[in-house]
Amino acid sequence: MEPMSLTGNRPDEPPFESLMFNEEIQRLIALPPAPVGNASSFTAILELGPTQAMELLHWPEPSESSNPYVNSVDDGAVLFAPTSSANTGYGANCLAFSAGENGSSPGASSASSPKVKKEIVPYSASDWSTWTHPAVSDTAPESKVPGSTKRKVRDQLDKGSEKKKKNESSQDAEALPYVHVRARRGQATDSHSLAERARREKINARMKLLQELVPGCNMITGTALVLDEIINHVQSLQRQVELLSMKLAAVNPQIDFNLDSIFTPENASLSDGNFPVPMTWSDIQIGGSMEIYQQQGHFPSFQHSVWVKEEGSSFVMPEASHITSISSANGVPLDSRQLKMEM
Amino acid sequence: MMTDRTSLRQKFLKKWVKGLQMYSSPKKLTTVMERKRFIRLSADVALASARGGMTRWSRALFSSALKDSQDKHFDRKIPGRAKGKERKLHESITRKITSRKVLKGIREGARKKGKTPSNRLPARTIAKRLVKKRTQLLRKIVPGGESMDNVSLITETLDYIISLRAQIDVMRSLVCLSGHLDA
Repeated sequence: MEPMSLTGNRPDEPPFESLMFNEEIQRLIALPPAPVGNASSFTAILELGPTQAMELLHWPEPSESSNPYVNSVDDGAVLFAPTSSANTGYGANCLAFSAGENGSSPGASSASSPKVKKEIVPYSASDWSTWTHPAVSDTAPESKVPGSTKRKVRDQLDKGSEKKKKNESSQDAEALPYVHVRARRGQATDSHSLAERARREKINARMKLLQELVPGCNMITGTALVLDEIINHVQSLQRQVELLSMKLAAVNPQIDFNLDSIFTPENASLSDGNFPVPMTWSDIQIGGSMEIYQQQGHFPSFQHSVWVKEEGSSFVMPEASHITSISSANGVPLDSRQLKMEM
Repeated sequence: MMTDRTSLRQKFLKKWVKGLQMYSSPKKLTTVMERKRFIRLSADVALASARGGMTRWSRALFSSALKDSQDKHFDRKIPGRAKGKERKLHESITRKITSRKVLKGIREGARKKGKTPSNRLPARTIAKRLVKKRTQLLRKIVPGGESMDNVSLITETLDYIISLRAQIDVMRSLVCLSGHLDA
């Protein structure tokens, strides 16, 4: 299939994980449809922990007081959960950006260190309460003291406090800290250019994230070319989706057949290792085939033989390396047996 | 982290399978193209709902897939409650789009067309123009991109790429699984 590897950063994945992924498919189908609470599932996705090259994007989340940072996926993908109201405003954007800039990932520090002339205050849950007050209290003494640096900081403070007041009404439970920006030498210090500069840097930071996400963009300098690559990448992803749905439609004469076809070859490959032996569901014993799953060590060899035998279908071999796995933290899916009985 | 990606894949898969199972009337899906269309629409809907409406692209994708599926008389693809909410959001988005387009038209009409002399433009202007064109293109590609500012456009693109990858992973492995049956 396509030579481009979407998951190119993980080329050495053991193929048996794809098998577990298949089992996972069955397990998921078996599970009764659980109501998906959007907010709760999102916070489940959010995890702390930096990875190799990532900055962190964050949107304030009232329920996550202890984990303010959105986690990033290993190959540089970032998931984020903005609050439902799109009008978080400039304050939140600054916040997100500042949190990203000062992210805890050491790998990202090389990328962001040139920018760290800015005094960027890290965003953490414990600071929430402290931020509300300094905005109010600092402006009073600051206003009396002239001096360029203090004025800049005060400008920022004023701006931040205004925005904070504006935003407080919209986010009742959330406090939005703001960015302390020290202007660099020889740069304009009025609020407009500060805002513009913050915005530009925000855009640049996110462009950097995109560059790391899209393969082959790291060497490219210049926004236009990077955008070109991004557009190409997104278009190719969309085309792949079309292609795969066409393949799926071609394979199955009807839609319902789709689901059946998942199960039987699974059982064949799992139980025998001699592929393919079509098994009927009546052959499946609940207790008897549990032992198959316990022989986890055999899975890689099963899978290898499976893939090797499927030379004819052209997409299989590349797929084997591209199929990324369901994490084994889910454990051995014994429920696939239940699945069979239910279906 | 791995679990982010896998949990996204799991969610997508769960919803997609649910949607496929909900498919009730087999009357219209006879040709491959129609089946492909149904599969793609259901996958898009599942992907968008796996994202949960937190991102603008997911809402836009959801509403456009919904509109698409209604044209083809698929049987009640999406439950009514969600339909109403998404329709409202969709309307608000289209309103924003049209207003933005109107404003753009006014601005460009006010600017004198072709006022730039044929001298060499500074490189910065050329670069800016290129970037502007590219962002326009990106807006067209990312669902719901028309009504976003540049900052959120980039963020949405990030999220969209990740979700697309998850979708492709799941679909690809399904294809492999069904491919086994042929052998």
